[in-house]
Amino acid sequence: MFQWAWKSLAKQPGSLTASALGIAFAFILVIFFDAVWQGESEQVVAYPENIKPDVWVMQSGVSNMHMAMSFVWDWKADKIASMPGVKQVTPILYLNNVIVAGDTKMFAFIVGLLPDAQRAGPWSMSAGRQLENPGEVIIPAVLSELTGTGMGDQLRITDKNFTVVGLSSGTYSSANTVLFVPFKDLEDILSSSGTYSYLLVDADDGIDAQTLATQISNEVEKVNALTHDDFIKNDFALASQMGMEIIVMMTVICSVLAALIVAFTAYSLVMRKRQEIAIIKALGVNNSLIFYAAMLQTGLVTLYGFVIAVVFALFVIPYVPLLVPQLTLIVSMDSLLQLGVIALVVAISGALLPTHLVLRLDPATAFQV
Amino acid sequence: MTSPILSAKHISKYYGSGHTKVRAVNDVSLEIQPGELMLIMGPSGSGKTTLLSMLGGLLKPSAGDIEIEGMNITQLKEAALPNIRALKIGFIFQAFNLLEALTVEENILFPAQLRKDKMHSAKQRANQLIQQLKLEHRRSALPQTLSGGEKQRVAIARALINEPRLILADEPTGNLDSQTGQEVMMILHDIARDHGYAVVMVTHDPRVEDIADRIMWLEDGALHDRKSETHQWTSDPVCGMRVDEWKADIKAEYNDATYIFCSQRCKQRFEKNPVQYVRNNK
Repeated sequence: MFQWAWKSLAKQPGSLTASALGIAFAFILVIFFDAVWQGESEQVVAYPENIKPDVWVMQSGVSNMHMAMSFVWDWKADKIASMPGVKQVTPILYLNNVIVAGDTKMFAFIVGLLPDAQRAGPWSMSAGRQLENPGEVIIPAVLSELTGTGMGDQLRITDKNFTVVGLSSGTYSSANTVLFVPFKDLEDILSSSGTYSYLLVDADDGIDAQTLATQISNEVEKVNALTHDDFIKNDFALASQMGMEIIVMMTVICSVLAALIVAFTAYSLVMRKRQEIAIIKALGVNNSLIFYAAMLQTGLVTLYGFVIAVVFALFVIPYVPLLVPQLTLIVSMDSLLQLGVIALVVAISGALLPTHLVLRLDPATAFQV
Repeated sequence: MTSPILSAKHISKYYGSGHTKVRAVNDVSLEIQPGELMLIMGPSGSGKTTLLSMLGGLLKPSAGDIEIEGMNITQLKEAALPNIRALKIGFIFQAFNLLEALTVEENILFPAQLRKDKMHSAKQRANQLIQQLKLEHRRSALPQTLSGGEKQRVAIARALINEPRLILADEPTGNLDSQTGQEVMMILHDIARDHGYAVVMVTHDPRVEDIADRIMWLEDGALHDRKSETHQWTSDPVCGMRVDEWKADIKAEYNDATYIFCSQRCKQRFEKNPVQYVRNNK
């Protein structure tokens, strides 16, 4: 019976492949949207993830960086720096605002760096140099490419112009573009003085980050100190929350699309094979066996589509950012496993549609010439 | 006397109700013994296929009982019938009805998969049937590459693979040329005679009558016994319609020959100008 199911399917490789490609297309969309979401989510935390201090200190009530605002008095940085177990404190100023590069306006995260900052700056440069003078800015290389704003060109943040002196890598995404400017310049923009946004605290060797964070929270008033892992977790959760609904909706739409293609394939297979199904019913095959055979067929078509989609995901999607640099795509094993589960549900639900056709098919029609 | 393999008692099949009620099969009773080859003949639309469908458990009768090897299949639940068809009945169809994606051997073995306990012996039996029906060289061929005769031989082997004692054949020679049809008939004749199968065959083909043990005539849903020796076919010289020489009562003599007609109207035409029809007939 299953041999018949398989061979009937394989006998029409053209329609089998067409159906599999349709399903693969829907699955590729699922993978693609998930990869975009994964990539953007990762990119949202790219700055803290790469800077990676042991402890992040921020204003009490703030627990993340993405889209957040925090102010910490400068004397608190001094107090923390003098605490036992603290190796180094690096303050930064931080602003979310619109920038103007060439004719392009876009939202960006601007980090103000002290001249002597040992860390907190760009972790990878593709061109140019670090900040040395007021009015300078380091922008992502992708932003430079997209807007045509190169080295030496001007870029505006609020009402202040900056000159591009360096291009950084890994700092661009459509959700989170990071620019670096001198601390003083950002202070001017914010009209602030004597405050920082975040303190990046490095612990002495052998000091537990969690213990240090608790100690800072307890001893310094109105600050929130979190280990790097907790801080990242909060930022990632917020980013996920922001994009999750859209991604879930797209995944559902694409899964329904795939299920409809599978159902249509199963339906047309049953319609094409009506006479043969009547024959096998006449020969004594019961409805459940025919249903299992139909299930096997939809399972195989779905598997075929799934394999095409996975091959595409593994060998094509990673190269998409080369053509579209503003995209950060991450295909994770988890999302492929998740797609496997979706494929299983799609195959089963797709096989259900022609069930009534199979059940209603009269075996006596086998006698019709 | 051995017990019948198939016994149908007062079976009827009605469609519709009230004024639109149609009796496709009306109060038919029959029995068939092991080794017997029974023909069911009759004009188109007489209910032959409906009767065969009911005998094969493909269609529920409106009234009456059908027993196969003593089991009343009309009282069985719908879900139990596929098993009866798989194990107790072999079907042979006019259109051969082979499964297009399967090879000759796979087609033959298809019903055997429904009784997994006998799969090993089924393979041996398939080999025997392939030899017996002269299909060795076509074992791995797909149905689309087979001739009509080969297809029907594969269908016969498929019907026999589970060793059912009852074979139901619907116009098995209908799509075959006369020589191939004759071969197929002889195979069916042999499986009844030599192997004790009960064969019920629906056909229009008068050539088959010679090998039948019993011929039943179905007309307007009613079945009548009819001996094969009781007719001799000839053609009406006027309209060309086939008429039974031994049953005909509309006849005319001309030039020392007897001519038989389907109706008085044809006879009258003939008598007006016999030369025209005799010449045409020549």
